[in-house]
Amino acid sequence: MKAAIRHLIRNRRRSLLTLLAVLCPVYILVIMFGFASATMNDMFDTVTRVDTGHLQIRHVETRASGSATPLIQDPAPILAALAGTEGIEWSTVRLDLPALASAGDRSRTVLIQGVVPEEIDPISSMRSRIVEGAYITSDSPGVIVGKEFAALLQLEVGDEFVLLGAHPEIGVVALRVPVVGIVDVPIAELGRSVVQAPLALVRELARSPSAATSVVVRVAGVTGTWDTDTIDAVAQNLRAALPSDYEVLDWRDLVPQVEVYMRLLNPAIAIVAAVFFALGALVVLNTVYLSVMERTKELGLILSLGASRGHVVRMILTEAALLAAVGAAGGAVAGVALILLVEALGGIPLSGDFQLFAKAMGMSPALHLRVAALQTLLAASAMAAVALLAAWYPARRASHLEPVEAMRYVE
Amino acid sequence: MSNSPLIQTIDLHKTYETGTVATPALRGVVLELREKEFTAVAGPSGSGKSTLLHLLGGLDRPTSGEILLEGRPMSTLSKDALARLRMTSIGFVFQAYNLIPVLTVLENTAFVLELQGVARAERIERARRILSELGIDQYADQFPQRISGGEQQRVAVARAVVSEPSIVLADEPTANLDTVTSLELIDLMRRLNRDKGATFLFATHDGRLLDRVNRLVTLVDGRIASDEVRDSA
Repeated sequence: MKAAIRHLIRNRRRSLLTLLAVLCPVYILVIMFGFASATMNDMFDTVTRVDTGHLQIRHVETRASGSATPLIQDPAPILAALAGTEGIEWSTVRLDLPALASAGDRSRTVLIQGVVPEEIDPISSMRSRIVEGAYITSDSPGVIVGKEFAALLQLEVGDEFVLLGAHPEIGVVALRVPVVGIVDVPIAELGRSVVQAPLALVRELARSPSAATSVVVRVAGVTGTWDTDTIDAVAQNLRAALPSDYEVLDWRDLVPQVEVYMRLLNPAIAIVAAVFFALGALVVLNTVYLSVMERTKELGLILSLGASRGHVVRMILTEAALLAAVGAAGGAVAGVALILLVEALGGIPLSGDFQLFAKAMGMSPALHLRVAALQTLLAASAMAAVALLAAWYPARRASHLEPVEAMRYVE
Repeated sequence: MSNSPLIQTIDLHKTYETGTVATPALRGVVLELREKEFTAVAGPSGSGKSTLLHLLGGLDRPTSGEILLEGRPMSTLSKDALARLRMTSIGFVFQAYNLIPVLTVLENTAFVLELQGVARAERIERARRILSELGIDQYADQFPQRISGGEQQRVAVARAVVSEPSIVLADEPTANLDTVTSLELIDLMRRLNRDKGATFLFATHDGRLLDRVNRLVTLVDGRIASDEVRDSA
């Protein structure tokens, strides 16, 4: 070990190059994983807080409901099942109706979300996203609309517009509603199409005092996408507890595009990682090979004195292992340090198209990074292993040198 | 001196082949070396001295013929077995590049003991003792590049004898040294031969060293031209 360290110090420049070949890929990958993890969590959090919850219980689709979410005439059996199921943090009844919104000569298809504002308050970010006016209350007759929606229909707080409910199970019902607040939701598409109203108001539109389309559920102990097993377990229990004409959908069923994005992100990083690993391995192979060539005489001497081939392999690999370990650890530490620094500064603010893209994807307008411990450990270990593997060929070659020829070697 | 040969060569031939050109280096060498001998192999350049030492040391294999070390044939040994034999039974001193540059004098001296698996404390103690006996213990913590060529060769001798091998083979150990240092090195080897009973065989083409040996084998064109036992100093 001492000799290996001295060898590395003796060839400082080459050692530094090898170290960097291991350190840089790990550093970049830790940051990439940090970005992916934060992004996925950001999207998950936004989608489950603003729109879907972790789970939704719905009536099984019937012919009568067509493409709209089928109506639940009385959610009482669902609420009873929820009360008897462990792991539920929170639940609320929702009535979502497709409607045509009209103001003057402008109109747009929307989804009216009927909610109990006081119930969704603890987990919803809607109240904090109000940019104009106020948030709805259960006894107010008004609605809140997305910023984009308000712009499309040229509405301001206090203006009224007409909602033309068109659910296949209800028929067509019209209702004039005032705008009490304008909200800036993080997903632009939501901002264009969602109108949130008190549940009682939407039930008026549905001509039913107890109608619902879903019961939205948040599962206890879920902090991010990595807790999907917890969500799945609760969903499984609920399916067992509910009558068969209800289905339990999770957030992946409700917003599949978000999961597709998440599923694509990791393989994309894996491909980038493979390229980095290959480049790192080539540099390590090259530098260790050069080191073996330069030390041919020394290796010849060592073999002449009776060192076994295994001894020579161990000698070369010890040096490579030292560089690999220090490089991988250094890359991981540097990557984590940068992530912590960025987060301490509140993230990297996005601007222009990047901000629009982030909003469209349900992400915050700043680029956030998150330490992904498992991926960091994996990236560092994999790169160290690849570097060691790359050093194997020159080490093996060194061990097969003929002592006499090696000692005669002229550099 | 024991009568049973330590090393015995039987009709030893070595031919180097480069493409279609065959260059004979040894042509039927028959030689017996006994324990505690202090033997020089002399001869002009290209006479086969180094080749003979390489074959005797298991660093190379003969084209034909046999070498018996303590009665055991070396031709049947695998590469790994030859490496073990070099580690346990043969000490080497080369013409140049004898020491591992990243190891101190003490570590270089103890290197063979480390290969043999001798415990650290014991190998350090033995290495220090031999360095002290050879009068170079003051360099124990120095790196090879910090000491002179003569001192480096002394360290190489120390390393060669520290594990008490059956024989020490030295290939032109004084080739890069001045006259005084050369004589000092040979005298040192001679002292180890007398005091410790170490068997030495060294190759040289320096006639000034030959009055120190008690046996002189002269090679010419790969054959033993003379084999003379002397009453040396």
